[in-house]
Amino acid sequence: MDVLRSVKGNEDDEERLVRRVAKGDRLSFEELYRRTSPWLIVRLRRRCSDEQIVAEVMQETYLAVWRAAGSFAGAAAGGSAVGWMWTIASRRLVDAFRRRAHHAELPVAVLVETVAPAAEEEALAGAVGDAVGSALRELAPELRQVLQSMVLDGLSVRETAVLLGLPEGTVKTRARRARIAMREALS
Amino acid sequence: MSETHASAQLIGRYVGGDTGIPGDELWALEAHLENCPICRGRLAEVVGEQTPDVTSMLSGIWSELEPLAVSAPEPVRRRRWVATWASPTLVPWLGMTALVMGLALLVDWADTTAGRPSLVQLLAPVAPLLGVAVSWARGLDPAYELTSATPRAGLYLVLRRTIAVLVVVIPLLLLVGWAAETSVALSLLPCLAFTSATLALGGVIGVSRAAIVLASAWVVLVVGPVLAGSMIPLVLDPAGLPLWGAAFVLGVVTVVARSEAYTRLGSHR
Amino acid sequence: MKGDEQVIRAVNAAEVAPTTYAWEIRAEGLRVKAGRRMAVDGVDLSLGAGVHGLLGPNGAGKTTLIRALATVLRPAGGELELLGASVGGRTEQRRLRRQIGYLPQDFGFYKRFTVREFIEYMAWLKEVSKKDIPAAVQRAIERIGLADRADDRMKTLSGGMIRRAGIAQAIVNDPRILLLDEPAAGLDPAQRLRFRELLRELGSDTCVVVSTHLVEDVAMACTDVMLIDEGKPVFRGTPSELEAAGGAGDAGDSPIERGYTALLARHQPDRGSR
Repeated sequence: MDVLRSVKGNEDDEERLVRRVAKGDRLSFEELYRRTSPWLIVRLRRRCSDEQIVAEVMQETYLAVWRAAGSFAGAAAGGSAVGWMWTIASRRLVDAFRRRAHHAELPVAVLVETVAPAAEEEALAGAVGDAVGSALRELAPELRQVLQSMVLDGLSVRETAVLLGLPEGTVKTRARRARIAMREALS
Repeated sequence: MSETHASAQLIGRYVGGDTGIPGDELWALEAHLENCPICRGRLAEVVGEQTPDVTSMLSGIWSELEPLAVSAPEPVRRRRWVATWASPTLVPWLGMTALVMGLALLVDWADTTAGRPSLVQLLAPVAPLLGVAVSWARGLDPAYELTSATPRAGLYLVLRRTIAVLVVVIPLLLLVGWAAETSVALSLLPCLAFTSATLALGGVIGVSRAAIVLASAWVVLVVGPVLAGSMIPLVLDPAGLPLWGAAFVLGVVTVVARSEAYTRLGSHR
Repeated sequence: MKGDEQVIRAVNAAEVAPTTYAWEIRAEGLRVKAGRRMAVDGVDLSLGAGVHGLLGPNGAGKTTLIRALATVLRPAGGELELLGASVGGRTEQRRLRRQIGYLPQDFGFYKRFTVREFIEYMAWLKEVSKKDIPAAVQRAIERIGLADRADDRMKTLSGGMIRRAGIAQAIVNDPRILLLDEPAAGLDPAQRLRFRELLRELGSDTCVVVSTHLVEDVAMACTDVMLIDEGKPVFRGTPSELEAAGGAGDAGDSPIERGYTALLARHQPDRGSR
């Protein structure tokens, strides 16, 4: 497993790999894993501090990719392979949390970012429009967390509630407050 | 927006699990990573260099994963599209219809008495009913209860399935009629009238029962007497077409008015 | 940033509007006919997230009740609200059914379909959006553990696997209300164990109603139990309360079975022992 190999590919590479995986090409599968697993595992680790769950979700995701690659190749017209993989991974993460929900002794922690007063940070130039960027930055962390789950990660209200360990009503309230805050900041 | 990429420092902080990254930068970074293979590659390099525990996790996951990836690739998708139109149990009944019409054709060929009414022409109006019976059939469709509980259940689904039947049966009739050298064009409106009547009556007593009732009534009241020679085929006269048209419209109106019946289990057991 | 629009999904106001209902399933004085008989007679329900067991002897009206909850039978009397919406109007029903999953007792399937094709067909019938169907089907197949048989024809499956495929089609649209009529029939003990775990997983945020003869399953997986007899409710409470209702003198091999027979006997004293 050589993660140090640098990748100089164009954007279509992952899609092509998935199409070959759909035909049962195991070398392409290994290549796909090599390219995408670092990104996926880091993203998952930033949402779940339990390493066992992360490992479980990673395995389930790639297994699902292996088995269902044909469906992606057929269905997604213009979708990205990596986006599809995240959809699978995020839902598996939610399912893993559900499985442990009734184990009262295990509140699985999720990392919450604190707002850092960063002065000299090298921001991604023009990444998020300035107004939106500062609105996001100023948002209370628990509101931004809900927004991140629903918008960036693409989860539904129910799934967000399971992932963050909150009642659905709380998730909805925070999402509403976040929307209002963003709208106010942008107007 | 220009093609800018994430800085090495930001990626390093991201990989390291730094919780102090400002919200908007983190958001932008994650959104960017989902779209940029170059930055994903750079992230992979950083993982390899800076976080050996993650690297070993990845190797561990792969070694457990690799032996499990053995199944065959996915099969062809043709059946899925067809199933959204025709009822999954339709094919045998279409075969049966073709068989019946084929036999009628043979009878017509065999019996060359002049002026004798054509069996093909007589049976044409009820030809689709075998297929229509399956479009909403308690006894013939194993997944009947499951299907009636779904959102798509209802008039829309029943019509879709009926159209699938007509799309096959009508060309079949035209073909058989051409082979028998009779005109079945006159029978097409009666076909539609019978179809809509079956669906309408089916909303009350169940579509398969309705199909049996109507088909039997036709055979007993019309086909039989005509073949026995005691009755002129009035019902197949061009002058009778407006009546058939009216029957068709009446059937359609009833079906639409009672469309809720197709979303529930019949109350009869 | 190129492609950001694909990543960001707008949060829809309707999605985050406050929930207007207290219970996913609410019924008052519900009466439902099966044929000419009033099979459900005066049942009250207020069910939220969790696993709710439905017990009762044969002919007690369990299947009729579940069918009414699945909106395939229209109630003859009383009130029934699912997800805050009164059961009745047409378009409301379609929207409602998209959030319901149902596994009937007589689970019929198409023998020539593969497991995957069958569940995809059911997903289509449940109006899961076309691009989501393959991923949703794969997830459902993996959750019930049929991943290695997914591309085999259904006629090659054992009874227990077929039942599991039935459960998979019920959960493929990630429903808020899940209605299972005798879901564990035909499952061997190991499979029943996995199934109970699945039930608990689902119960964390879904309202699951399980009608079953297997009293032990009820004890293990359900958060509360309802016992009905001849269409009438006999008992509502937790499995431990059901156990407590029985004593040494009642028939049964386990505390919960004894509780079950005790309550039934009390309800119909002239029936004699069952």
